[in-house]
Amino acid sequence: MTPPTGGVPMPAPDKEPLIRMDGIHKWFGNNHVLRGVDLALEPGEVQVIIGPSGGGKSTLLRCANMLERPTLGSVWFESQDITDIRTDLNAVRTRMGMVFQQFNLFPHMTAISNITIALEKVLKLDDGEAKHRAMEQLRHVGLEQKADAYPGALSGGQQQRVAIARALAMKPTLMLFDEVTSALDPELVGEVLAVMRQLADEGMTMMVVTHEMGFAREVGTWMVFVDGGVIAERGRPKEMFANPESDRLRQFFSKVL
Amino acid sequence: MSVAETERVIVVEPPPDTRGPSSPISATALWLGIAAITAVLGGTLLLQVNYAVSDRVLTPGCVELRLTPDITGALNVCNMVDALRSSAQTLLLYGGIALGIAAMVLGWGIAKRMDSFRRREQAVTGAILGVQAVVIALVILAFRNGRPDLFAKNFLNFTVLGEYFPGPFFAAMKNTIVLAFVGEAGGVLVGLFLALLALSKRKAARAPARAYINFFRGTPLIWQLLTAYFVLLLGFGIVPSSLLVAMGVFALNTGAYAAEVFRAGIQSIERGQMEAARSLGMTYLQAMRFAIVPQAVRRVIPPLMNEFVILIKDTALIIVLGLLASQYELFQWARGGQSDTFNATFFTATALGYLAVTLPLIRLVNAVEKRLQSGLVGIAGAGG
Repeated sequence: MTPPTGGVPMPAPDKEPLIRMDGIHKWFGNNHVLRGVDLALEPGEVQVIIGPSGGGKSTLLRCANMLERPTLGSVWFESQDITDIRTDLNAVRTRMGMVFQQFNLFPHMTAISNITIALEKVLKLDDGEAKHRAMEQLRHVGLEQKADAYPGALSGGQQQRVAIARALAMKPTLMLFDEVTSALDPELVGEVLAVMRQLADEGMTMMVVTHEMGFAREVGTWMVFVDGGVIAERGRPKEMFANPESDRLRQFFSKVL
Repeated sequence: MSVAETERVIVVEPPPDTRGPSSPISATALWLGIAAITAVLGGTLLLQVNYAVSDRVLTPGCVELRLTPDITGALNVCNMVDALRSSAQTLLLYGGIALGIAAMVLGWGIAKRMDSFRRREQAVTGAILGVQAVVIALVILAFRNGRPDLFAKNFLNFTVLGEYFPGPFFAAMKNTIVLAFVGEAGGVLVGLFLALLALSKRKAARAPARAYINFFRGTPLIWQLLTAYFVLLLGFGIVPSSLLVAMGVFALNTGAYAAEVFRAGIQSIERGQMEAARSLGMTYLQAMRFAIVPQAVRRVIPPLMNEFVILIKDTALIIVLGLLASQYELFQWARGGQSDTFNATFFTATALGYLAVTLPLIRLVNAVEKRLQSGLVGIAGAGG
């Protein structure tokens, strides 16, 4: 039933992975965007996903928390098949934070309300506890003094840090980052990457789609090169940067480095 | 090769001056235009007031036009016609036309040669005012060469309003507003419900909502009023109150339009907002309630207010159902007065009544729209 998996096969994991994606295929109409992708991530690891635009990186990430439902294949998260139709995805998503390229803060709410809304309505925390937790996260990203500012009054970098704080406040076990610095002015990229680097140092498990090659090399535990809907190459970031095996990756590096 | 050969002689030619000559006259065209429009509009109005307030009697000319003393308001009508046909008015009209033409010729003639934008705008504005003065003057000329007496007697004879004004008039105005407001409020509720159905991803939920919306948008309101009335009366054997039927039909009809407004408003919110909310674990309904609808509501306020203005005017259609005198709204008030007195001035008064309600509303819509365009920060800041 399952079509053959393309690309480089995944090595057998040592431990029980936090998230495992098995033979993921995704069609948008007739467009076969993901053509059999396997990915597994153990707690504390940072999986960097690079590749040319249109190659399926973002779709792969969005399949992880089922914003896109895979047409074929399964996603196992915390030892549970979340592609099973009976899964309570809302409960799953509280444990899987996501940060978007366009920030997607709620423009009609202050920074702190952006964070407390889900704490109160989804996790059912009381007002005081939600505020306390939100301030804690704002402090974490260095924006406690902007708690009462509306997103429109914040810079892109500040908005993205609030978005990260919003996701972190749910106390997720996995964080998904979808090209979070791509919409930022160059001088604002650093502050967001610094927050992500700190998060990785603290042991957060992360899947990061990015075009920031320096970040990928230094922070990534694993790196995959996604091209044409398959994982064309996988390995340790430093080795892949030093000795790219495939021509496609070499070509990609020659364009972006 | 010698050095001299490689050297080129560079001839620096001064660039041509592309500026045209500047005109010595600057604001004259503007003043000419203002004078022209003032002569035509202001002068005519002043003459009318002057004739109206001075102690005059019915002139033989007016009696010749059959404005006899037994006609209500004959003297007022006579004053209007006499003022319009006075030699002062002739002077104003022809003077206005002359000034207007002068403003047009001068304004457009010199506009390109002004040395600042402000002066150019003044010249062009003068020319535009000139055009307006000429057009209005020509219309007034043609009008007074026709039968202004007949028109004034039938449409501008406010004396005939008599006992119908102000009491019944303002009662009718109140009824119009109540009727439109109830219709709009009901329509908003119907519309919100329909919009949520129309946005469903399930065809079974979408189809009836679409059918409803298309039906009510695709048939005339006047047909809906009549059909609803007679379906209740003949089909169900109920003798319905015209007022209640009208309120119900207005709500159902406005609901169809409001549904489209809500749907467009909700769909205009970026997809990322829903995704962000869902990625935080919110259900679809929670995401709608806390993230999407609060943003959409701000965007639909101006179009919903426009629907309200439209409905205020459409309440006139209730005339096909007929009302008790105590329930009269503006249009039926006019129809009633007109059939009692055989004078159409009631319709002129009714138009003024509608404008008194709609103009402030239209201004309010524009103000709200401007406010919303200044971005969400502004509203959010003002709200919180």
